[in-house]
Amino acid sequence: MSGAVKRATGLTGLAVATNPHKALGTLYGKILRTLQKMPEHAAYRKHTEAIIKERSEILTTTPAVEEVEKKINCGQIEEVIVQAENELVLSRKMLTWKPWEPLVNQPPPSQWRWPPAQAVQQR
Amino acid sequence: MASILRQITKTLRTSSNRNVVACNFARFQSTETSSAQAPVETRPTVRKSDPMQRTQLKDFGKYVADCLPKFIQKVQLTAGNELELLIAPEGVLPVLQFLKDHHNCQFENLADIAGMDVPSRPNRFEVIYNILSLRFNSRIRVKTYTDELTPIESCNNIYKAANWYEREIWDMYGVFFANHPDLRRILTDYGFEGHPFRKDFPLSGYVEVRYDDEKKRVVVEPLELAQEFRKFELAAPWEQFPKFRPALASVEEVKTDKKE
Repeated sequence: MSGAVKRATGLTGLAVATNPHKALGTLYGKILRTLQKMPEHAAYRKHTEAIIKERSEILTTTPAVEEVEKKINCGQIEEVIVQAENELVLSRKMLTWKPWEPLVNQPPPSQWRWPPAQAVQQR
Repeated sequence: MASILRQITKTLRTSSNRNVVACNFARFQSTETSSAQAPVETRPTVRKSDPMQRTQLKDFGKYVADCLPKFIQKVQLTAGNELELLIAPEGVLPVLQFLKDHHNCQFENLADIAGMDVPSRPNRFEVIYNILSLRFNSRIRVKTYTDELTPIESCNNIYKAANWYEREIWDMYGVFFANHPDLRRILTDYGFEGHPFRKDFPLSGYVEVRYDDEKKRVVVEPLELAQEFRKFELAAPWEQFPKFRPALASVEEVKTDKKE
């Protein structure tokens, strides 16, 4: 589809992106800046940074949109933009939730035991 | 006819065997090393287990537990290939939001929310979220717990589908969802009292409805049973449910490295 103008994504409510490189670039920049505020040891930060850096690397090295889609391999470029928007919202919420802290509370010992009949002492 | 059928089943069987061999080969190549190799399942009526898929699910469970150590209490595989995250009730929103929005999860569909009542536990109700990722073609189950009084945070802002499901749980079990926009009963009749899926709700209910000929309308009356309720002592000296033992092979805990 080189040279042909993309008219629709084929997905309801998802319009064709006019300048996907710019949109994705700013989104990835914002996500990385949000991740900077998290502690170094946070696993969420590490994993997300790895994903975002890989994708922005692909984005900067390949100018053709179809090539980028093929290399990222996660749907059309518009869907990739939506994913980046979701990740940005999530990372900002994560700053308030702080999921890298230790477990908030331990379950009661019998909580996840199944079958529950064993909670009653056998004679 | 029978010979044709036999021919077809024969080809089917050989092809499935080849698949199993391929899976085993792939498992040897993967990093996960398992000590005991499961025997190849050849019985046609028994569910086949896929070691590749199990490894992937375990890795994904570890990944999520690694990202959200604050909320995830336990990760387990049930029935061979169903991944379950058992979480603290405070973490409903963070865990669901993570599973929905993170690049590696993208569980964007809420298939169902289920409730469960186990009266012997201190937190008697379980709330179970079944979610689906169309992007990665996989499902995951998130379980949390509560008691009669503690509200659970409503996930209506994350999944719009949760609205009616949470109303259903509220109606059937009486689990309260905080910040739900419209928490009303949904399935029971007008003026119904009680939560019918609770284990202490009587099978016959509390009221009965009948048409009264004199009043020319439907009347609701307290239930009157024709026979006195009797309690039978049915305990036998032998074990009633030998399969109902704690060591159930269908549940396997996925080890997550927790920093205590």
